[in-house]
Amino acid sequence: MGTVIIVVFILGYLCIALEHPLKINKTASAILTGVLCWTLFAVASPTQDLLNSVQFHHFLEILEVELGPNFSSMGQNELYLKFVTSELSHHLASIAEILFFLLGAMTIVELVDAHHGFRFITDRIKTKDAKTLLWIICWVTFFLSSVLDNLTTSIVMISLIRKLIPNKDMRLFFAGMIVIAANAGGAWTPIGDVTTTMLWIGGQISTVNIVKVMFLPSVVCMLAPLLYLSFTLKGELGKTDEFQTMTSGDLVGGGKLILALGVGVLVSVPVFKTFTHLPPYLGMLGGLGILWVVSEVIHPELDEAVKKHYTAAGALSRVDVPSVLFFLGILLAVGALESMLTLHNFAEYLAHTLGDNRIIITMIGLLSALVDNVPLVAASMGMYSLAVYPQDHMIWEYLAYCAGTGGSILIIGSAAGVAVMGMEKVDFIWYVKKISVVAMMGYFAGAATYLLMDSIR
Amino acid sequence: MEIIVITIFVIGYLLIALEHPVKINKSASAILTGVICWTIYAIVEQESIHHISEQLAEHLSEISAILFFLMGAMTIVELIDAYQGFRIVTDRITTRDPKKLMWVICCVTFVLSALLDNLTTSIVMVSLLRKLVPNKNMRLFFAGMIVISANAGGAWSPIGDVTTTMLWIGGQITAVNIIKTLLLPSMVCMLIPLIYLQFTLKGELGVLEKHDQINEGGHGHGAHSNKEVKGAKLMLFLGIAGLISVPVFKTVTHLPPYLGMLLALGVLWVASELINPDMDEAEKKPYTAAGALTRIDVPSVLFFLGILLAVGALQSMEILSRFAAFLDTTLGDNRIIITLIGILSSLVDNVPLVAASMGMYSMEMYHADHMIWEYLAYCAGTGGSILIIGSAAGVAVMGMEKIDFIWYLKKISLLAMLGYFAGAIVYLLTYPFFAVHP
Repeated sequence: MGTVIIVVFILGYLCIALEHPLKINKTASAILTGVLCWTLFAVASPTQDLLNSVQFHHFLEILEVELGPNFSSMGQNELYLKFVTSELSHHLASIAEILFFLLGAMTIVELVDAHHGFRFITDRIKTKDAKTLLWIICWVTFFLSSVLDNLTTSIVMISLIRKLIPNKDMRLFFAGMIVIAANAGGAWTPIGDVTTTMLWIGGQISTVNIVKVMFLPSVVCMLAPLLYLSFTLKGELGKTDEFQTMTSGDLVGGGKLILALGVGVLVSVPVFKTFTHLPPYLGMLGGLGILWVVSEVIHPELDEAVKKHYTAAGALSRVDVPSVLFFLGILLAVGALESMLTLHNFAEYLAHTLGDNRIIITMIGLLSALVDNVPLVAASMGMYSLAVYPQDHMIWEYLAYCAGTGGSILIIGSAAGVAVMGMEKVDFIWYVKKISVVAMMGYFAGAATYLLMDSIR
Repeated sequence: MEIIVITIFVIGYLLIALEHPVKINKSASAILTGVICWTIYAIVEQESIHHISEQLAEHLSEISAILFFLMGAMTIVELIDAYQGFRIVTDRITTRDPKKLMWVICCVTFVLSALLDNLTTSIVMVSLLRKLVPNKNMRLFFAGMIVISANAGGAWSPIGDVTTTMLWIGGQITAVNIIKTLLLPSMVCMLIPLIYLQFTLKGELGVLEKHDQINEGGHGHGAHSNKEVKGAKLMLFLGIAGLISVPVFKTVTHLPPYLGMLLALGVLWVASELINPDMDEAEKKPYTAAGALTRIDVPSVLFFLGILLAVGALQSMEILSRFAAFLDTTLGDNRIIITLIGILSSLVDNVPLVAASMGMYSMEMYHADHMIWEYLAYCAGTGGSILIIGSAAGVAVMGMEKIDFIWYLKKISLLAMLGYFAGAIVYLLTYPFFAVHP
């Protein structure tokens, strides 16, 4: 059964990658893959491997406490089904956290955009030179994503380049670089990226140390592709007159207010999280709520129909819901592989056959371009114990780097990539052809930098 | 802390109920209420933050199971609508006798709303009315009956109504059982007003305008041109089959219903992309699921998210269970409480009411298919017909037909209440005979 699910997963992935030639929307493929994986998982008879696993026994212990005397009357099949549904419900909670976060962030950015709020930033960027602009965009993304999460950063940056670069072909390269820069920027701070945060919360890495050792490799990871594109990128930004000639007379009021509030909300989401210890999506939703109210109150002079465009309700209708469902499908599918312990087994298999920790972790980074990096890091955290590898040991730092940046190699390898793909309609194959190689270059260059620094230390 | 949270919840609820005079979208109020309730809970009880996070994750998981189910269902219905699939049903209604037409319309509404959501059903049926009943006064009575039938039809089917769906997803009721026990009461709830109107309704349907009426606009909210697209039949068939297959999927796999809904959506999505190979991308877009997704009501999804999070906070703080205990001691009987909840649902949204009830009564005390869950499904589903603002169907019809709140109160409310109580009595009398209640 495990094999069948893996085959379904791979077929699903192929359909997603071949979206255009097949003419089937990738969201449909992703949803079907996710649902099929779980269905097969639920109707299959459990493998001995799974029944003997630590996870299953752990689940049984909790269930026994919950059910009390009823527990002993349950058959193995019933227990297995309970295990599957409980796993699914855990996955759904963490997936929903990401999706509502994404939905909130995209709506806020869309709302700022409806008020032409980004004009106040883009008006300041005067350069007409593609290469200069690329450098500016990449560095801003890099540092922004070290404070904010990668997802928010890339959504904001994509909205900016939409205003700055009318030329679609050119914009795609910028979009690709934004993915790389956002992922690289997230890797070197404990709050910049989910996986780094996981390692930080788990006590595998410490704040000062990770910043110290990771900063240079992360910079290299972005710089290598950036330098390469600086030499090879050709083309124009395109005419921006449409945006330049817009005078304030055409605009609805409140652009500055909405921009300030929007940026304020996005920046205060990490603050909210540190302060309340609640998951960030709640902060994002709270911020959306505030902006929603403001957007309805600041235009008393407009009538309902015109006003709709400038409220959050209008912004929501322009948000790309299919990419939210795409993410749902993909994460469900990966969740099934995780719960079946396929990912865990694969990571252990890698560990046994490859031997060297550095090679294993490099492979995990590459793998994270295919499947979500969170379960991979979780599996690695389970594989290596803190007793053998103490805090700030080389493998933890290197894991933070690899899992954080490896996702750039494919467009669907990271949350930032998926968001960008939805917003800019980046094609999977286009990305493979034009960006993947550069991203991989950066990945290995950064990895080499880290390993070199580590050997000198 | 509890007083503060309750106050915030009440203020939030008031803002939601007074959405129109206050001019703040109810989704915004709901989201803020939900977030603020949890934030206060988390800040005040900072030392047990780990436990709170677990509670929140559990709630989120349950809530998103409902939301993804709704999104899937909304998209499927929207997609059928884009292909004008409902015409296949509505075009068959041609009778010119007012009383007969009333029966046909009510029965079709009843059956459709058991399959689709009440909102879409009433929109589809009211757009049909506009063609068949030119006489405005007469049409208002028909519209009122559509609201009653749509709500009654939704109550007995696990996929027909948000509240019944919530109870089904939560495991409080099972598919076969809810149909068995609630079908009769729901029918009575619709039949009583219908029979009453048979005797009292006077007037003509009005003269049909010959040509232009027939082709006027598509049904529902999809504002497309009249251009016929191939595949209306196929999409209607696939869509309805997909919706019906959801309970079957659950029974076979024991997986939560939203997965079944997503599966149905995925199949329809692929079909919608392959069905018109000769069209180019841009032309095809409105007729694919991707296009349908842009037309679904995402704000109301966020409304549910917010309000359910808020109710979840109250539940986690054990405010709800204490409230239930308080109600038990003051009112005594569960049946009275639930009947009141039903009537209350004509004033406030029934989703939070049902969510709160689900939090008030634990599954350990009241096992699956217990009387109170079924009765709750009936009351919350049909009570909303008593006022025009009491249900999503009512609000939609009010908007489409410009029905006055007072007119409805005078002419329909009493009838609806009659039906509501008649159905309730039928349920309370018959449920002991429908087994499974140990």
